[in-house]
Amino acid sequence: MTTLINQNPVIYEASAGHSTREWREDDENEDQEDPIDAQEIFDLIRSISDPEHPLSLEQLNVTQRDHIQVSDENNSILVEFTPTIPHCSMATLIGLCIRVRLLRCLPSRFKVDISVRKGTHQSEHAVNKQLNDKERVAAALENSHLLEVVNQCLATATSGGVVANIVKGPTAVN
Amino acid sequence: MPRLEQLAVLQGHEDRVWCASWHPTKPILATCSGDKTVRIWQATNASDPTQWQCINVLEGGHKRTIRSVAWSPDGRQLATGSFDATTGIWERDEDESGDYECVATLEGHENETKSIAWSKSGALLATCSRDKSVWIWEVEEDNDFECLSVLQEHTQDVKMVAWHPNEELLASASYDDTIKIWRDDDDDWYCADTLQGHESTVWAIDFDPSGNHLVSASADQTLKIWRRYAPGNATGIMTPRRGEAVWKCVATVKDQHERCIYSVSWSKVHGMIASSGADNIIRLFSVQEVDESAAVEGKLTPEQIKATNEPGVQLQAIKVTEVPSAHGTSDINSVAWYPNEDHADWLASGGDDGSVRIWRVVRD
Repeated sequence: MTTLINQNPVIYEASAGHSTREWREDDENEDQEDPIDAQEIFDLIRSISDPEHPLSLEQLNVTQRDHIQVSDENNSILVEFTPTIPHCSMATLIGLCIRVRLLRCLPSRFKVDISVRKGTHQSEHAVNKQLNDKERVAAALENSHLLEVVNQCLATATSGGVVANIVKGPTAVN
Repeated sequence: MPRLEQLAVLQGHEDRVWCASWHPTKPILATCSGDKTVRIWQATNASDPTQWQCINVLEGGHKRTIRSVAWSPDGRQLATGSFDATTGIWERDEDESGDYECVATLEGHENETKSIAWSKSGALLATCSRDKSVWIWEVEEDNDFECLSVLQEHTQDVKMVAWHPNEELLASASYDDTIKIWRDDDDDWYCADTLQGHESTVWAIDFDPSGNHLVSASADQTLKIWRRYAPGNATGIMTPRRGEAVWKCVATVKDQHERCIYSVSWSKVHGMIASSGADNIIRLFSVQEVDESAAVEGKLTPEQIKATNEPGVQLQAIKVTEVPSAHGTSDINSVAWYPNEDHADWLASGGDDGSVRIWRVVRD
């Protein structure tokens, strides 16, 4: 087995269930236009698998609801994520997975910025620049090998926060 | 004040449109897309610019996104730069089918070709890539292209190349936040100047009609205008390298675009600048000299006074008009002025919505 970048990550408890969003009275009113909020974005990305552990981004505390800003009115979203270690070489890939997930799920009107949370990665600037360069992202998604890796990480994206036992990662239990 | 009126929306591409390029002499537009095709559009009737049709689709030449497209100066050939790392050269079969055929494929870049440009004479072709290099090709007979030089001084992806309108002088814009000026000395190409000032990727560049100014568009959300100072210039700008001009930033347009700027076009006919990017807005600017004596006479606006107080500012780009949501909620990746006097007030744009739009400047 190849050596893991972070051999021993801290695991956090994922919020149980399919969504951590509270039910609102308006939810059943189908005439009402439903603005997209940070919770909805968080629900879309929290179950993405980490590229090297059989755990979700939520379980590794890579994504947190409080680190997502949404302005439905201005069509803008900022997702900040926290790599598990400051020299994580997977940071760009994790950011790419988040971008692709949102690209596939959200209406195209949204402008999405993705960045490493300030001070949490030694190549913060380089990672952020790459993740927000649409030409590089477009080219990356035409690379079939890379796309396969991204799709593997996204395979668990609807699993409700926990991915262990679902994917066969390097240290999967089954 | 002039405004921009939409003449037509051209639908057909099945993915984002990356680049639009006008034929040098005819009302014909080539556009390329993430759908791996080039489409050629023509006004149905020369007197009615609101009706356009797609007259050719160039497909099968590239395996990946076609990032850029450019007509040769004589309008006989089209060059395409693709993420598949190659450059395609296309020619129309005038005698029989009228279709375009790929007559040459230029290989050499290690990965995505981002931009291509023909020199004014058509004798040279420049290409650039994510592999950080700029290649200069000599156009020979029988669709032969010989690589004259591989320029490797940028430290990151090269996003765009643009030739001077009259001279064999090339500019390149990069992810390394700089612009480089390239010249040749007896077929030996070298970097004559590096233009520093942008704080992020420089996505696009274009020369003014004289070629003494260059405008650049950046992810730092500004446009900059650079002026060439020849040795012995009247302004007294130092030119440290013997015989070599230097380029200095003489204007910065900030607080206009609210996101990354992807494209800029400087009209070779009337001198207006068009820019567009991820804030969905097309903006037009007119460029003026800053008249310092006017400041003394109290004729300047507060913005102009502020501009003249910044060191090095010689020019001012004044916003003429803007079109919000020009492609709905989509990024606008390309804007291009019509290249000659026939329809100098036409502007083409291409966006993430897959549409191509034709606009006209209207003076009420």
